[in-house]
Amino acid sequence: MNILERIVENINYLGGAALFLIGLHTVVTHTNLIKKIIGINIMGTGVFLFFIAIGNIEGGTPPIWLEGMENPIFVNPVPSALILTGIVVSVSVTVYLLSLVIRIFQTYGTIDQKELAEIMEQEVPHD
Amino acid sequence: MISQLPIINLVALLLMAIMVPFIKKISFRATLWLGGILLIGVLVSSVFIFIHVANVGDIIYHFGDYESFLGIEFKVDPFASLFTLFVGTLAFIIYVYSSGDKTEGIESPEFSRYYVLYFLMLFAMFGILYSNDLFNTYVFIEIISLTSCAIISIKRKKEPYPAAFRYVLLNEIGSLSFLFGIAMLYMISGHLNIDLLANTIQSGWTTLPINIIFAIVFMTVGLSLKAAIFPFHIWLPDAHASAPSTSSAILSAVVVKIYILVLIKLILKVFGVELFASLGMDTVLLIFGGAGMIMGSIFAMTQKDLKRMLGYSSVSQIGYIVVGLALMSDLGLRSAFFHIISHGLTKAALFLSVGIVIYLKKSRSVKGFEGLGFQIPIAMTVFGIAAFSMIGIPLTSGFIAKWNLGIAVESASQYIFLGVIVISSLLNAMYYLPILFAAFLKDNPEHQEKVSIEKIPAAMLLPIVVLGLSILLIGIYPNLLMQLIDLVIARL
Amino acid sequence: MNDTIVKSITRLVIPFVQVYGIFIILNGHVSPGGGFSGGALLGTSLILYTLVFGAIKAKHKFSHKASEIAESGGILIFVTVGLIAIFVGMPFLTNLAAGFPAGSAGAILSAGMIPIIMIGIGIKVASTMITLFHKLIEEVIQ
Repeated sequence: MNILERIVENINYLGGAALFLIGLHTVVTHTNLIKKIIGINIMGTGVFLFFIAIGNIEGGTPPIWLEGMENPIFVNPVPSALILTGIVVSVSVTVYLLSLVIRIFQTYGTIDQKELAEIMEQEVPHD
Repeated sequence: MISQLPIINLVALLLMAIMVPFIKKISFRATLWLGGILLIGVLVSSVFIFIHVANVGDIIYHFGDYESFLGIEFKVDPFASLFTLFVGTLAFIIYVYSSGDKTEGIESPEFSRYYVLYFLMLFAMFGILYSNDLFNTYVFIEIISLTSCAIISIKRKKEPYPAAFRYVLLNEIGSLSFLFGIAMLYMISGHLNIDLLANTIQSGWTTLPINIIFAIVFMTVGLSLKAAIFPFHIWLPDAHASAPSTSSAILSAVVVKIYILVLIKLILKVFGVELFASLGMDTVLLIFGGAGMIMGSIFAMTQKDLKRMLGYSSVSQIGYIVVGLALMSDLGLRSAFFHIISHGLTKAALFLSVGIVIYLKKSRSVKGFEGLGFQIPIAMTVFGIAAFSMIGIPLTSGFIAKWNLGIAVESASQYIFLGVIVISSLLNAMYYLPILFAAFLKDNPEHQEKVSIEKIPAAMLLPIVVLGLSILLIGIYPNLLMQLIDLVIARL
Repeated sequence: MNDTIVKSITRLVIPFVQVYGIFIILNGHVSPGGGFSGGALLGTSLILYTLVFGAIKAKHKFSHKASEIAESGGILIFVTVGLIAIFVGMPFLTNLAAGFPAGSAGAILSAGMIPIIMIGIGIKVASTMITLFHKLIEEVIQ
């Protein structure tokens, strides 16, 4: 029973960690390059969720100051602001990876890592 | 006023990066000159900052005038200022070289983009060293990884794309692990400032030890992935080999070191040596470093591509630095710092002189060096000096670095690593010396006509001469550098 | 995409999206939102335009040159505002202490330099979103 309670209490953190692991599994096991990119994004989402869960305070209000507030309990806004930066980074990394995949497809005609390795082995390695 | 200099350096580099596309339209030569003057300015102000920091005291800079626990803080101590000086010097030397070498793989439309990326990367490297804030460090790390990946894939050839893809993917896993570690630390302390975090880490160790264990493991693995410490090195040779020579030089000589410096900063300033060692992480790093020293050299011997060989050689040299760090003693740290600077100079000299060979022969094969020592005597002499430094022959900086590591290993009673150092040096000799023999002792009947030195632009020759001379200078007068490093360690 | 319904609804929706984006940028310092969220909305409106009317028409609306100027301009606004503090002798990006007027809390013209910075960030983010999307499409077309 004790374990169940602890799981319910820490469900945000466990969810973040689980997403991180699912993403890592996707990146490592799938040979399709697009799926690898999706895996990276899932990993990122896991970390972001974990970070935001740290800032949450039960019963807290959004951190906006309004007239007539007396001793309000605000949710910690710092993690959200940090994660905004993280999201920007993740967007740019995703776009960069996608454009690389487009180039790879145009030059090699495949987006599967195994086929890619076979094609690269057949060619003369270096000029 | 001097306390504003670090931030003015940063802003100048950032502004240069975004102004390159506009100045280029007026005149490309003007852009090159402006960039060079700007880099000299940054270098001079770094020297001033170092003198000020060494004599007066650390510069603490609060962005927006907020308190440390609220805002972002820059802390310029001797550690940061010495290594910004190192980064700035190498960046200037490589910049001068790249302004001469316009051919290798980069087409003219991409040339201005190359400089945009170059200045952004410099901006981020300076930022990482100055920053005293973990999340800020993460953002700068991401800027470095994106720009360095883009610099690799800037050639419109097909070979770099898979290498760049793998590089970004592994780098991104590394960054996310690092961010996960930051989240763990933020959870126990509520601070991102390194000094404030360090104060709360001891009380955190008693209440939430699991968090700190996770943070240490995730951050070490993440930074090891990015720094190509031995079992995580698989992306490095491909990525560094397929990049243009100037980019390989800056990636291999500087960028990889930055991540090791971040790791050193984390271990010494955030976690503390005792905590890190009590978890046995020092042994892990020691094994990784020792394995890297041997395996990197063995892989390098089997390569047919010269630049891939240099990439694997970097893996083995990173092993030396990691072993120095993992000894967790002042002597070990001294040797690690010395090796970082020595290897930076040496690897830059190697990649740039190989760049001249590629410029001349349009080929990256290890074979075909016969008689090259008579065709391009200056470049091959510098290559020889740098190769000697890699092997660890006296009078070069590499010898001093290995000597110091040997002393540190001996005083930590890890005698097995003395053997590892000797074996690794012998292996280094086995793949560098045949190239030198071929270049200087054999004659190639095909290349009887002598290529005059004028055929190679002076802007390419001058930087490698400077690099070669500085390797010799540090090898003969190591105390010049050692005094600075001792100052850094005393104030760390 | 040659669908009349989609085309006319897009024409109808885009102005509202853009006005909402500008609203969020300008209210960034008094309510949730700000440069990034508003800029993303502005960018999305043009991405929607590109999806419906095609890349060639969208290029006329937002050319390569315009994106170059907007991207550098956004950073320039941010850096100049930060540098003003250095000229006064305060640390980079100092707000009220460097002489920016505070205004009354809750008003649009308040909080010193924050609205100016938000506009800079909004321009930068909007143009980056559009440029990234256009670049991806160009890669496919080539």
